[in-house]
Amino acid sequence: MATERSAKVTWQGSLMEGSGEIQEVPSGAFGPLQISWPARAEDEHGGKTSPEELIAAAHAACFAMALAHGLAEAGHPPERLQTSATVTFVPGTGITRSALTVVGTVPGIDEAAFLEAAGQAEEGCPVSGALKGNVELTLDARLAS
Amino acid sequence: MPRIERHADVNWEGTNARGAGRIDAGTGAFSGLDYSLPVRIGKGTEGKTSPEELLAAAHAACFAMSVAGELRDDDARIHVTANGVMDEVPGQGHQIVESQLRVRVRANVDRSSFREAVKSADEGCPFSALIKASAKVSIDAELEG
Repeated sequence: MATERSAKVTWQGSLMEGSGEIQEVPSGAFGPLQISWPARAEDEHGGKTSPEELIAAAHAACFAMALAHGLAEAGHPPERLQTSATVTFVPGTGITRSALTVVGTVPGIDEAAFLEAAGQAEEGCPVSGALKGNVELTLDARLAS
Repeated sequence: MPRIERHADVNWEGTNARGAGRIDAGTGAFSGLDYSLPVRIGKGTEGKTSPEELLAAAHAACFAMSVAGELRDDDARIHVTANGVMDEVPGQGHQIVESQLRVRVRANVDRSSFREAVKSADEGCPFSALIKASAKVSIDAELEG
């Protein structure tokens, strides 16, 4: 069955001088969030989110679920997975990279099996599927020591 | 060319089916967002977000900026709603198959220039470029007033 999710944005003015707002999302989980071009395209974000940060949040979240699923299927349900995604934006070129990391606390698993499960989750999660083809995806996975 | 990086962190505990995760944005614009499988595939009104909702917010924000960049109008008012559709694809599991954009604009521009601006935004929006390798992007755009 298809699942749909939506979000609304209002922008006022030009790209460089104007600003926008991501309205409270239908789930009520976040928003309103302010956005602007300088906050997106310069290192100094001023506490504002951007499309790239939202993609990073979506990717890290999707990857964590896919890996939790794969590990449980393989008989090694995780206690804890700490994931992150870092998305690179090159103004004028586009979104070029999403770098995933995971540190897993998974009882009884060896490192090779964990790395294999992480690789499959990176391949198979729906957000990876959506990004794949036009963006470099990387993965750095390890078990918590 | 500057390379701008944005990241997000996720802490997931437990299996895919019974566990839950928490999402934090690197900028601090949002934090402590809870999510889980039942919420992700449910109606989306439980006060919790999902990867797909975050992607919809990213696409709406990105496309609004691209339209603003084309219009170059300090008085423009741009509304964008992005609706992302995730569905099961035979042999590929769940995939994001479509992002539907609804665009409503008030600006000092004639209809043919507006159509051109939307077309250029469609070609130039970095998020659209990303997902076009795997999903359909549809646009319903109207100039108001």
